[in-house]
Amino acid sequence: MTSMDRNERPAFRRRFGLHFGLIVVCAIVLLPPLWVLRTSFVPEQLSYSNELMPAFTTDNYSALLSGRFGQSYLNSLIVALGSVLLALPFAATTGYAFARFRTGGRWARFAVLATQMLPPVALVLPTFTLFRSLELSNSLTGLIIVYAALNLPFLTWILMGFFEGIPVDLEWAAMTDGATAWGAFWRIVLPVSMPGIAAAGVLGFILAWNEFLFALVLSGPKTATIPVALAALQTSNGVQIAKVSAGVVLAILPLVVASRFIQRFIVQGLTFGSVK
Amino acid sequence: MASIELDRVSKLYGNGNYGVHEVDLTIPDGEFVIFLGPSGCGKSTTLRMIAGLESISSGDLRIGGKSVANVAPRDRNVAVVFQSYALYPHMSVRQNMAFGLKMRGTDAAVIDAKIADAANLLGLQSLLGRKPAALSGGQRQRVALGRAIVREPAAFLLDEPLSNLDAQLRAEMRLELVKLHRRLGRTIVHVTHDQVEAMTMGDRICIMRDGRLVQAGRPLEVYADPVNTFVARFLATPPMNLIPATLQAAPGEGLSVLTDSGAVLAVPARHRNAYGERVGRRVILGVRAEDFHESPDKPDWQKIAVRVVAVEALGAENVLIGQIAGQPTGKDDARPTGDDKPLEIAARLSRYFTAPVGSTVELYIDPLPMHLFDPETELVIARPSLMGATR
Repeated sequence: MTSMDRNERPAFRRRFGLHFGLIVVCAIVLLPPLWVLRTSFVPEQLSYSNELMPAFTTDNYSALLSGRFGQSYLNSLIVALGSVLLALPFAATTGYAFARFRTGGRWARFAVLATQMLPPVALVLPTFTLFRSLELSNSLTGLIIVYAALNLPFLTWILMGFFEGIPVDLEWAAMTDGATAWGAFWRIVLPVSMPGIAAAGVLGFILAWNEFLFALVLSGPKTATIPVALAALQTSNGVQIAKVSAGVVLAILPLVVASRFIQRFIVQGLTFGSVK
Repeated sequence: MASIELDRVSKLYGNGNYGVHEVDLTIPDGEFVIFLGPSGCGKSTTLRMIAGLESISSGDLRIGGKSVANVAPRDRNVAVVFQSYALYPHMSVRQNMAFGLKMRGTDAAVIDAKIADAANLLGLQSLLGRKPAALSGGQRQRVALGRAIVREPAAFLLDEPLSNLDAQLRAEMRLELVKLHRRLGRTIVHVTHDQVEAMTMGDRICIMRDGRLVQAGRPLEVYADPVNTFVARFLATPPMNLIPATLQAAPGEGLSVLTDSGAVLAVPARHRNAYGERVGRRVILGVRAEDFHESPDKPDWQKIAVRVVAVEALGAENVLIGQIAGQPTGKDDARPTGDDKPLEIAARLSRYFTAPVGSTVELYIDPLPMHLFDPETELVIARPSLMGATR
């Protein structure tokens, strides 16, 4: 046996073991969503069958979209997008102030993070009482405001890290070039931070898109978002598992498409601060 | 007109430490001044205070005769070139150069003309459409300079702009900057830790240490007459040799220096008056590496035995690292380096010099340029300067 064989054998064994482990993990992670995808194309009465594909139908989708689910889809889009657009300007300016001017010091930074430690269920009832008196319950505006407020600390924290990674020389250059501090932020820092802002925006969108508790309490039949609409498929007649599967597929579709396009930004956005 | 006056300018940080301590300096209009010092000596902080990017804790700063302590950076009419170049990554070269003019509301046709001029001067014509990421280090450096030039500022503040370039490009850009200064005639403050840049580029160098301005003067003056051991060592490669010694009276009216390793060096007659008071006291003898020679070309050069530790062949010259041989006096408490290593000296010799490691060779010291320093204060013991003197 040559020395090369001796070296290659353990390498092969290690690689085989690694790949086998990865395949098992992939199967555990991927099989449930793939089974949901399969169930969404199977007639309701055959949905619990053990067969891989007993019959193929798109009825689950058409039934869902012809009902209130379509409206919920639109509601979710409006609420998620609206909340992100409302929260981002506040998050960007607050994050920049924390990053560059050390506003509030360490205490303020911790306070921002501390708000995320409160269980949502402790906030939902006071919010409901408040919004009912403001006539904001059962409205998309109310949900937009709530999601923007809930996501603001998180988005601020992400953007703060991102701004800290931007060399202060850039702002100094702009300020000696004739810009005010605000001008340097607006013309230089913001454009340079676009990947980070996009990453923060997408993460905020996903959080708002998936939120259930506040949507359940604050929305009505016309203002329900997707998570609420999906929960409503669990009726007194039982769980309509094929329709629920179709709903789940529809719900994650925009996230899959979006993440495909902005994966680059997310990775760049989340690593920018540490790499620079 | 843009003279820059620093009037006891200090920068005090929150932790009570001074970044810059009472710096007093007047830079006349059109002068090319170098701030030189090791990392953390306060030279970049001083530059940023001139630019208005750092506040002044005390003292006053005047540009063109007017106090600018409370004037925003954008209103000081100075341009800064940063070590990182700080080019706006989302803008093209043209947009980078136009930014400062646009911020001042300059007419588009004027902007185009100025960019064309600067691009022509710096050889950037073909790069105007590119983004900074698509440029090499040298090109970025030129764009950063171009961005400063188009604004026609009263003063240029350069914060180690050459330190990220390779050696060859750095040498070229050194020359370019000097030419640029001659052509534009503007005040330039250039911060560096590179002694070659300091010696070759500026009208005047200001050496800083621990936030204080230690010495300011023409490069060759500072080189010839350093005020203390720090300046003596910092402004040369290899640094000035600092040898613990005792000043003693020699036969006749002469003086001589007895090094702790037992070598004796006669003090030149023209220094006797200056050093006369120190007879019998401890001193540090300062001899530059180039004042050691292989052969006695002049009668007043004095023989000294050196044990060879290493010979570094640099191509154009050989640097001998060695220990001065003699009868040790047992006084080694004043060793300036403060470590336990035997004192080593460096001598710049010709490229033909060779000697086996461990052997003892005879070298000849030119004693005239030597300095004596006080071992306690590390300050030079003043003697008449040799600058402009004939030998």
